[in-house]
Amino acid sequence: MAIALHADVFIPGDSPLHRWAVRPKLLSLLTLMFAISLVRHLLLLPWVFGVVGGLYLASRLPLQYLLRRLPYPGVFIVAMVGLLPWVSGETVIWQWSFLALHLEGLQTATLIAGRFLAILITGFVLLGTTPFLDLLAALRSLGLSPLLTDMTLLTYRYLFNIAAQLATMRQAMRLRGHGLRRQTLQRQWGWLVALFGSLLLRSYERSQRVYQAMRLRGYGQQGQGLSPTPAAGSARAAPAPMTVLTLLSAFSFVIAEWIFLAS
Amino acid sequence: MHIPDGILPAPVCVAGYAIAGGVTWLALKRINQTVDPQAEVPKAALLAAAFFVGSSISLPVPPASVHLVLNGLLGALLGWYAWLAILIGLLLQAILLGHGGLTTLGVDAVMMGVPALIAARVFQLRHRLGKPLSPKRSLAVFSFLAGAIGVGLAALIFFTLIIFTLPSTLDRSAEQGFLTALMVAHIPLIFLEGVFTTLLCFFLLRIKPELLES
Amino acid sequence: MNQFSSSTPPSVSILTAKDFLTPATAIALQNLSFSYPDNPHILVDISLSIREGERVGLIGHNGCGKTTLFRLVCGLLPPQAGTIQLFDQPVQPNQFRSEIGFLFQDPEDQLFSPSVRDDIAFGPQNLGLTEAEITARVEAALELTGIKALEERPPHHLSGGEKQMVAIAGLIAMCPRVLLYDEPTASLDLRTRRRLIRFLQRSDETLLLASHDLEFLLEVCDRVVLIDEGRIIADGDPVAVMGDQTLMEAHGLEKPHSLIPHVEPHHVQRDRLAQLPLEG
Repeated sequence: MAIALHADVFIPGDSPLHRWAVRPKLLSLLTLMFAISLVRHLLLLPWVFGVVGGLYLASRLPLQYLLRRLPYPGVFIVAMVGLLPWVSGETVIWQWSFLALHLEGLQTATLIAGRFLAILITGFVLLGTTPFLDLLAALRSLGLSPLLTDMTLLTYRYLFNIAAQLATMRQAMRLRGHGLRRQTLQRQWGWLVALFGSLLLRSYERSQRVYQAMRLRGYGQQGQGLSPTPAAGSARAAPAPMTVLTLLSAFSFVIAEWIFLAS
Repeated sequence: MHIPDGILPAPVCVAGYAIAGGVTWLALKRINQTVDPQAEVPKAALLAAAFFVGSSISLPVPPASVHLVLNGLLGALLGWYAWLAILIGLLLQAILLGHGGLTTLGVDAVMMGVPALIAARVFQLRHRLGKPLSPKRSLAVFSFLAGAIGVGLAALIFFTLIIFTLPSTLDRSAEQGFLTALMVAHIPLIFLEGVFTTLLCFFLLRIKPELLES
Repeated sequence: MNQFSSSTPPSVSILTAKDFLTPATAIALQNLSFSYPDNPHILVDISLSIREGERVGLIGHNGCGKTTLFRLVCGLLPPQAGTIQLFDQPVQPNQFRSEIGFLFQDPEDQLFSPSVRDDIAFGPQNLGLTEAEITARVEAALELTGIKALEERPPHHLSGGEKQMVAIAGLIAMCPRVLLYDEPTASLDLRTRRRLIRFLQRSDETLLLASHDLEFLLEVCDRVVLIDEGRIIADGDPVAVMGDQTLMEAHGLEKPHSLIPHVEPHHVQRDRLAQLPLEG
């Protein structure tokens, strides 16, 4: 599993998007993403991409960042986008023996692909310009339960350790010959159950030690929890124009859709 | 199992978030009613991480291999915390694996989390309904059910959502036929999830039975 | 004319003394270099040759590349320059070599099966041996490591020292010719450590041990290699290398206590080993 270290996802910088305060940024960009998912007319796509492209440029994130991450759309969406033009719709625009390309299907597929890409890029703009801890602190200030944010912090904190543990355990298995020869299904499943079970047990035992250590530092006394401290140096001078611009763009999609629907 | 952005209509995504919010409120309420809610947080958090990492293990199913979902097992081991674990897992997946999912977070959480909670309840029933059977038999039956129901319900919700969002220009009967075929194809996988859940519960029974009492 | 020639069949090759005196080269490293992206030059131009049967200690401060070296020798990492040969066959990355076994620093990285017996059997099962052969290997490994009493217990329930012995048994069951031990005494209590020392003193395999426990290496090894800044600084007799105070301190280490002149000698002589029990 290619778990990106958050260092790979977040890229420090000094663009207007980096300096945008986290709470308005999160809410505005999420609103934008939902607005994009509302779009049902192909004609709006260029405008959508204009807005999203503008945001990406303003973030000054390298193009490499986007290109490296784009090739992971998943089988499902590729299947949908790939199959729809051939199976959905009535107007045939191109035919070769039994294969027929349908206009409506092509339109829908383009729409889905377009929406998906635009939302994905907006997501990268958000995650690339915001440290994880700041995101979490913003969610907390928006009312997310402290129990939930504490748990998120811990899961995140130990995710990489546990992934490294699993990798080492699998290496140890390979060094003892695992994968060398075909084995009965019974043996293979037995080993994998034991591997996953052992990983769970090690994580559980570690969690008990972690809890003891946290208790010694006051966790749990009178509801005292962990507090996600925002990254040092994150400026709070919120360029309100960014919020306004983004929300306006989001509303523009909604209004344009409404106009299209009305006409 | 997660639905990519851009496919579902916005109202469905918003509804997903609303329902997820409601379930979160309920889960937190139940959790806060326990004696020491914070004590379970490290266990739930680290097991959530272990499940996230463990999902990369692929199991051989000739001729191919599969990645199991195991939301039923998660429910059996964590109870109400399983909902939180799934929510966090989806959030971290969106952030770290970089394939989107922020708009569909609510829907995905409901799709995986609600069946996990149901599976948790089913697993708990082994004490009451499983009385006539020996403890081991009862564990076997109910852990299988938890695993199977977890995935089965999730698959059902997934396919229902897809049916309702497919464009209406698609030939109705072809669409239904295709989907029935997909559901049927998933039955062996549902069975395998049940089997794996049972095997794992027996492993835990032998080595750390306290993990089975949530 | 050789006085034995009439009684010697012509097809037998005459073995000379030289064949008995030069054992095979177990590990041969030639100009080996490796860098991590965030830690360049962890190993620079390392050339080392270890003969079969030798017991070599690897010393150096934390982060000097001992574990990296082990990983390279096992084929877990690909070298960036240089060659690695195991019994004169080049080591290919990720290619399985049954002649070598690696004991991880944390036995929990290696143990995962529900019983000790199952875990030891894992290696032989993967080698494709018959049930009878597997059972024989497991029994032999249990006897050699003295853990027969633990065979049905889950490894997860054992103490640190016991887990380590199970991990070692799991490696021995594969009949390796070379064993790499990464910080084997790091979390052992004194009694278990003593047991490990006696066990290693009895073993036949070629050993490569990375350790901070210099006294331990003094008792087990017949050769010590000091690494610093990715290079081999010293290579030779343990007492000569580790007794050189200036050398040790210049590379972040200290001379082992027992090499400081004693009024009364108290180390066990090697020839008295056979009389000692494995336990206690």
